[in-house]
Order: sequence, then C-alpha cells, then structure tokens
Amino acid sequence: MADGRPPDGEDALRQPGQDPVGPAPAVRPFLVTAGRVAPSATGRPVPVETQVVATAGGLTVLDGLSFEQHDIVAACRLPQSIAELAARLRLHLNVVRVLAEDLRTAGHLTVYVPDIDITRDASVLRRVIDGLRAIPDSRGVLRDTE
Amino acid sequence: MTPNDPAGRTPAAPVAPVRPPLPVKMVIAGGFGVGKTTAVGAISEIEPLTTEAAITEVAAGVDDLSHTPTKTTTTVAMDFGCLTIDPTLKLYLFGTPGQERFGFMWDDIVEGALGGLVIVDTRRLDDCYAAVDYFEHRQIPFAVAVNAFDGQVEHSIDEVRWALDVADRVPVVVFDARERGSVRDALLVVLERALARTEG
Repeated sequence: MADGRPPDGEDALRQPGQDPVGPAPAVRPFLVTAGRVAPSATGRPVPVETQVVATAGGLTVLDGLSFEQHDIVAACRLPQSIAELAARLRLHLNVVRVLAEDLRTAGHLTVYVPDIDITRDASVLRRVIDGLRAIPDSRGVLRDTE
Repeated sequence: MTPNDPAGRTPAAPVAPVRPPLPVKMVIAGGFGVGKTTAVGAISEIEPLTTEAAITEVAAGVDDLSHTPTKTTTTVAMDFGCLTIDPTLKLYLFGTPGQERFGFMWDDIVEGALGGLVIVDTRRLDDCYAAVDYFEHRQIPFAVAVNAFDGQVEHSIDEVRWALDVADRVPVVVFDARERGSVRDALLVVLERALARTEG
C-alpha cells in the first residue's frame, strides 16, 4: 500500500483494507477486477473485436500470474479478440476489458485497439467484399462476379 | 526467494511477436429466434461462441436528452463468429442481443461496425423495429434480410418494406440464414452499401 506501486497481478485481487466500493450483488464477476468496472483510463470501453496478444515478458512470468490473469495471458499466445477471450474463458466482457488493461499496464499483454475510422475506409471495405466473394457456398459454388 | 532471476537464463517460452490481424465487425440484429445465430454459424469459420455482454436499457418514452434518462444495465448472451479474410484482416460477426425489447442501446457492441444486417421473420415483423430504428438513428449502413424459413415468405418484399417503413435506399433482400452462400450475399449487400457511402 505504502510503497506506491500500482496494484497489479495478485495484489490487485486482495488489497488489505480496501473493499470494493458499492453494494454486493454483482460480486462474483467483478471480484476479479477488485470491484472496478471502468474499463480503461480513457473511459471508453475498448471495442469487443480489439485484438490482444501476450508479450514475451508476459509468457515468461506466466506461472507467477493468478487465475484469470494467467488464463488470459496463456490464451493470448495467439492473437485473440476481447470477445473470444470472454467466451473461451467464460468471463464477462467487461471483466476481460478490465483485466486486459491491467495486464497491458503490467507489460504482459499488447492491446491493439482498432481505429474506428476504419469503417469509412473504402480500401478496407473492398478487401472485406473481395474476401467474402471468394467464399464458396455450402455446395462449394462460388458467387458469380459481376 | 528470488522472484526474479531472468539474467542469463534462457527464456522459458520464446515467442516471435505476433502481429494480430486488423479486426473489423458486422452486426446481425433481429428478434429472438429469428436466425441470428444460425446466420453467424452458417458463415463463421468457428462454431459460434457465446459471451455475456452488458447492454444498457433506456426507459421507454424518454426522448429529451436534457433529462436524465432512466438507465438499467442488463447482462445478456451474445453469439458471435469470425471469418479470416486474409492473414491481416479478420471479420467478426456479432449477433446483437436484446432487440426483442424496446430501447436497448448496443453502442458497446456496435461502435465501429462496418454495417448491420437486420434479420426479419415476416410472421413477427414487430420484433425488428428496434433494430431498424437503431441503425437508422446511428447512421450505420444496413440491410433488411427476410429469413425465408423453409423457403416460405409470408409477405412480399414490398409489403415488408412498407411495414417497416425503411428508406428506399435501404436494401431489403430475402435470404436463408442456414445457407452460407445466402448469408454471404446478404452481408455483401450491406458492405456494398457501406462502400457506396464512402464514395459519396
């Protein structure tokens, strides 16, 4: 407490004398985040498709991480979206958001927040269109191209 | 105890830095049981996954933004899948939950979506009003896809368009949520509309 270090890893789960604020009902999902529900310092939740990848450092200290932190870093050996992590680890989306931010701060994860302006980028749209057109239907028939 | 002794040791798990793909997403909306998860599953390269998402329900009838709306947050199940376009680009498809009730805000899920597909069951047109309103209000490119259950559509496209009161520019198509090629083509209709908007 007095050493001024930001809480990370296991410490964040049990800070003595600092109870999660607020009423208790939703305890279980947010116990692992020490009661925090605000996803990021900027106040905007990262998009659900945000990609998360373990850092080499994160994998090196993997065995020293606790439960959910361990599972998230382990799952992120390959890039995952926040949504995939939540589904595969059976965690609430916002719990994953909070923990991913913690793990990023600790240097264990890299979080690639996508640029929202991409939705108006014609070249990206064309790539998605071309990619979808290349998908055969369930009988293996390709779409006619105009 | 020496908690940290990395000096000179071979890293336990050396990994090359993995650059993730650029993720993009589309949203599949519609009433309960209308075929959202079926459509996601028809084209996803993975079995649809389910996660719990928090959505905010705004009290009905609160139109004046200067008032403090009554908001409650509800946790709902959300199904999604994905499709690797190429190693640098991955499309996620999210079935938005909660649309069978009025007034949900899906911003948390929908923010940044390339577009939306509203699936309609012509026997229960009411169920998709909220989704249509939402996409129109947020100015997200979308199309209405009438799910032809067993090849049957009870109303013509014109009737659906009239009943939903969608703008002429909004495409309305008939599709089969179970059929990969049909879902693909419906998504392409949305994307082509999104592309047309960028061009102007």
